[in-house]
Amino acid sequence: MASRFLRIITNIDRRVIYAAVSLSVVAPLIFKFPMPISISPETVTLYERVEAIPDSSTIILTFDYYPSTLAETEPMSIAALNQCWRKDLKIITLSTVGLGGPSIADRVMATMAEQFGKVYGVDYVNLGYKANYQAVLLGLGKSIRSIYPTDFYGTPLDSIPIMRGIDNYEGVEFIFIVSDNTIVDFWVGLVNAQYGTEMGAGVTAVMAPKFYAYVRADQLVGLLGGMKGAAEYEELVGAVGMATTGMGAQSMVHLMIIFFIIMGNIAYFIGRREK
Amino acid sequence: MSESLVNFLQVSVAGFLTLCIFSFLYKDNPFYRLAEHIYAGLSAGYYVGLIWHAVILQQLWMPITRDGEYTLLIPGIMGVLLFTRLTEKLSYVSRVSIAFVMGNTAGISIMQQLHGYVLPQTGDTISGLLGAGSWFATLGAWIIFVGVISTLIYFYFSKEHRGIFGATARVGIVFIMISFGAHFGYTVMGRVSLLIGRIRFLMFDCVDSFKHLIN
Repeated sequence: MASRFLRIITNIDRRVIYAAVSLSVVAPLIFKFPMPISISPETVTLYERVEAIPDSSTIILTFDYYPSTLAETEPMSIAALNQCWRKDLKIITLSTVGLGGPSIADRVMATMAEQFGKVYGVDYVNLGYKANYQAVLLGLGKSIRSIYPTDFYGTPLDSIPIMRGIDNYEGVEFIFIVSDNTIVDFWVGLVNAQYGTEMGAGVTAVMAPKFYAYVRADQLVGLLGGMKGAAEYEELVGAVGMATTGMGAQSMVHLMIIFFIIMGNIAYFIGRREK
Repeated sequence: MSESLVNFLQVSVAGFLTLCIFSFLYKDNPFYRLAEHIYAGLSAGYYVGLIWHAVILQQLWMPITRDGEYTLLIPGIMGVLLFTRLTEKLSYVSRVSIAFVMGNTAGISIMQQLHGYVLPQTGDTISGLLGAGSWFATLGAWIIFVGVISTLIYFYFSKEHRGIFGATARVGIVFIMISFGAHFGYTVMGRVSLLIGRIRFLMFDCVDSFKHLIN
């Protein structure tokens, strides 16, 4: 019996596992399993800090991510925009990622602006991308206009209403970073450390473990980690979106992986005993 | 061409290339290689265009010709000097530019690491030891403190890992393993999220664009 089980497990085709994982994703997306979401303290502190920003203040919302990680990062941007525009905050967006960042910002901001009736130039502006992120982040602290003389569309900043009276981090109440790379290190190390601007971050799951240390040391006020973090934020904001609906599939695949790990270990111990 | 047709074509190409990449899970095949080569070529082309517009034109050519910022000629010339690496005789000239980049990057990185990482993190590791608000938080502070010290000892190779020193290093291994486990768990979650995103795209976005085209 045990040796038969061992033979089946050790000879299982990897494509069977791929098919099982795919089914675990497809089924919850079709049948929409509602999964309870427990909200982590790091998400709550970020949400509460944004809630505490005085209405109509100006914040920076970054789109520091590539199209390849949209499934994790875009729901964070959308949830953040939902919260910010309910508070009528003015939003400056920029991206330190050239490959797709400004275009994603353009699309997401335009879609959300339509929902909330916001006007480009008055309620938000997209500054776009500039190369050499270290120089950009430091330069923004001295003069935004020296780094971005124009916005993403080539309009001079002086003729954009939202930018009147804002020329460095002093005019910015908060920085909401959404990122899939280590740029968070530079926002914290260069901007928070030198200019004292408060910031929070939403990052991909791969990056998240590294950045929890920043939350503990109060360098970040809060952190969203991957699709789970995005779903938590959607829950707090009250705008169910792609992350929340994806958590059913996420949980199902995790159960499947745990099952495979247990089966693999049982087979390993049986194999060792038989030897 | 109608907007819905353009949208359908865009989504169809994206959907087809996604399936081409997924086909590698079955086995290597020409469709996978086609998609792989298109990805590599497009990325390279996009970057060339991006650098040309965002750096050469916007940050160098236009400020010089339109605004008269002639000091930008210095970094411009230094950039050109980097191309001397292509010739064996003159390649030494490029060292000037490389030295500038290295010095500049090192200066910024040291500042960023020291003020943004080492000092605040060291301070936070120590600050909660004598009371962090609650006994649970204080216990957490002590666990982090032990983890930091034992891990640092594990990576100290100038003394043989024996006796108390070796035992502490072994505690460090436990913390490192827990850290690896957390990273691996999060990585699995991240990769599954990307899979969910792609499958959702194939199941809903592709079908929706087709429905939109028909209607």
